[in-house]
Amino acid sequence: MKRREALKNTAILGGTAAFSVSLLTLFQACKAQPRLTWEPQFLNVEQAQLVSALVDTIIPKTDTPGGLDVKVDILIDLLYDKTYDEQAQQNIVAEMDGFNDKCNAKFGKVFYQLAADQKKAILQAEEVNSPKFNSGVWGCSVGEQKPVGFYRSFKSLAVWGYCSSEAIGRDVLKYDPVPGDYQGCIPLSEVGGVWSL
Amino acid sequence: MIRFVRKNNKSTIQYKNSSMSEFKYDYNYNIDAKKNMTYDAIVIGSGMSGGWAAKELCEAGMKVLVLERGRIIQHIKDYPNMNKEAWDWELRGSITPEERKKHYKAVRTNWIGEGNKDLYANDAENPYTEVKPFMWLRAHQMGGRSQLWGKQTYRWSELDFEANAKDGHGVDWPIRYKDIAPWYTYVEKYVGISGQALGLPQLPDSHFLPPMELNCVEKDIRQRIEGAFPSRNMTIGRVAHLTEPLNGRGKCQTRNKCSMGCPYSAFFSSVSVTLPAANATGNMTVRPFSIAHSIIYDEQKEKATGVKVIDAETGEMIEYHARIIFCNASTLSSTRILLNSTSNRFPNGLGNDSGELGHNLMDHTYRVGALGTFEGHEDKYYKGRRPNGIYIPRYWNIDEASKSDKFVRGFGYQGGASRKGWGGGANVQDFGANFKDSLLKDPGPWEFFITGFAECLPYHENKVTLDKNNLDKWGQPTLAIDCEWKENELALNKQIQEDAVEMLEKAGLKDIVGFDKKHEPGFGIHEMGTARMGRDPKTSVLNATNQIHACKNVFVTDGACMTSNSCVNPSLTYMALTARAANHAISELKKLNL
Repeated sequence: MKRREALKNTAILGGTAAFSVSLLTLFQACKAQPRLTWEPQFLNVEQAQLVSALVDTIIPKTDTPGGLDVKVDILIDLLYDKTYDEQAQQNIVAEMDGFNDKCNAKFGKVFYQLAADQKKAILQAEEVNSPKFNSGVWGCSVGEQKPVGFYRSFKSLAVWGYCSSEAIGRDVLKYDPVPGDYQGCIPLSEVGGVWSL
Repeated sequence: MIRFVRKNNKSTIQYKNSSMSEFKYDYNYNIDAKKNMTYDAIVIGSGMSGGWAAKELCEAGMKVLVLERGRIIQHIKDYPNMNKEAWDWELRGSITPEERKKHYKAVRTNWIGEGNKDLYANDAENPYTEVKPFMWLRAHQMGGRSQLWGKQTYRWSELDFEANAKDGHGVDWPIRYKDIAPWYTYVEKYVGISGQALGLPQLPDSHFLPPMELNCVEKDIRQRIEGAFPSRNMTIGRVAHLTEPLNGRGKCQTRNKCSMGCPYSAFFSSVSVTLPAANATGNMTVRPFSIAHSIIYDEQKEKATGVKVIDAETGEMIEYHARIIFCNASTLSSTRILLNSTSNRFPNGLGNDSGELGHNLMDHTYRVGALGTFEGHEDKYYKGRRPNGIYIPRYWNIDEASKSDKFVRGFGYQGGASRKGWGGGANVQDFGANFKDSLLKDPGPWEFFITGFAECLPYHENKVTLDKNNLDKWGQPTLAIDCEWKENELALNKQIQEDAVEMLEKAGLKDIVGFDKKHEPGFGIHEMGTARMGRDPKTSVLNATNQIHACKNVFVTDGACMTSNSCVNPSLTYMALTARAANHAISELKKLNL
């Protein structure tokens, strides 16, 4: 039922996504909030701020590039724009708003405005409360899949976007485009990390 | 409209592991459709079985016209994505909602991506009706589904060819294992099948190239399963991937990008192997964008005399003539052509005296099994993306001791062990710097799964019919598919899941999940039957050499001909039956019997 309500709200707010980015950026500037450094194709500015902040919190920059370094946030906006059908787009917007509502209820601010430890507290709760993805067989998950919710599905998209980027997939993960004969049992230390492909 | 490559546009292909190929990849095209209307043979379809028909007939010196309903694909030259990685695409290989609409039937597989979408037929232009749910996956271009297949390659056994006669379901096969065995060997030597010989009567060994390797977890699990269940075996999948060079083709480099095209020619497809071999004879002509409308029957001669073809681009109807016709359009498409080939003699479709044309449709059940995680070997990993897994051959109803009182026939399993890698990252209960580090360094747990493929009985009421109210883009009647699993298949699936869970338990796996996705028929993509072979023209469409009983110069050698469907993957049997039928045709033509 919650989902249906959310959809209704989305329908009312349906115009939001169509707002010109510059206009929204203007509103945002008036509120003296941090500017978005990229121009979303599908999301509004507040949703884009959420995407960037989530990516940065889940996959931060360390001695290896972070999610923002390899533009995972920009990719996610693009995927929502170009690979989601209208229904899926409405759902994702509603889910994002729902996620921000949770942050608001707890800390009185939306996610990207939170302090680092508050962000951490939100995500820790999500990690504990979100069901996990079932394993799959040949492209299709098996067993009874509980709805994983916005956070876990977003994290999945972020991990995929990160690991399938050229900077990570080619240069950080173990990339071997032409492995030759399959070797079924070698020391992990010999590989020294996770295969890219 | 440029759809032909000039004949003198020669190219040679250098292989990694060999000298030059003897194959010829640039085809003789029928440039002027009107100029040459008559051939010795017409082969409808250029896929798994059509490629073999073309090769055998051309090599015997016959002038052969191959009709392909879609575009030409030249090996290697027309594989634009074969070296691409996810990051080479803006959407990382995902497809848009528009593409999903175009492939609205096939997207159910979850396999269609930017890199292979062009190999799946346009469902919007080629509708069919699901009287009951049925997933019909089609590939409308040169090579057909031989570009997309799973490469699992198993011989049928005596048990399979005797099954109908013994338990009374369907009609008896007009052949036995001994009739097809030499043809299995014949095609295997040319296709190149890797695998491990086991000497099992229910799964005869092929002529094998060296097997691919099992990984350490699979080896452990094999030992535990075979220890706990002495009548069960686990082996590496038998696959049409070269593990050593063959006839100028290179061996598999374990890239696992087969559907984007293999630059090494390591997996078998008609595009990479049989059609180039046919072409090298100089006897083959390919006509692309040619939809076979119907086979022309001459009432005086009591023979087929040719094929009516619709030019897919212009809509023009053209007639080609030949002494023999091989129908290899794929199971349901071949039957659609026969149903559409009506005459005074055959008002209900060519060769349909028995009323069985369109009936007895079968598929294998799909995605029923179990998976679990394996504890141990955390310090081990593998190298290569092996396009293969394990196989557990059938063990039910193979002798008196293994007889079930719940079902007839049996099932086999495919499966495999791997580590989840970064793909399991979303489930790791962590985020932040440490999480990222583990994503890059820790391959995660080992997971093992098995999933069964069960035999389906031939039921007269599982059928396809011509639907004249629902036309395709070219105004032609489409198929209505009316097919469902029945009691025996459901009982087999129940046993598949129970046994799978039990085997994984005995093998010491943890967090075991038994599953049955309850997929409708068609998901196995092993559709068989609808123009079955048989001994009696009153109950079957084709004879023991795949000829239409009452129109012997028409041969149907794709999956339509199957009288029962075993539980093993069928492509090898289609190839062997095709080579056998083609050689029969050649000898009958020499004797002037056709």
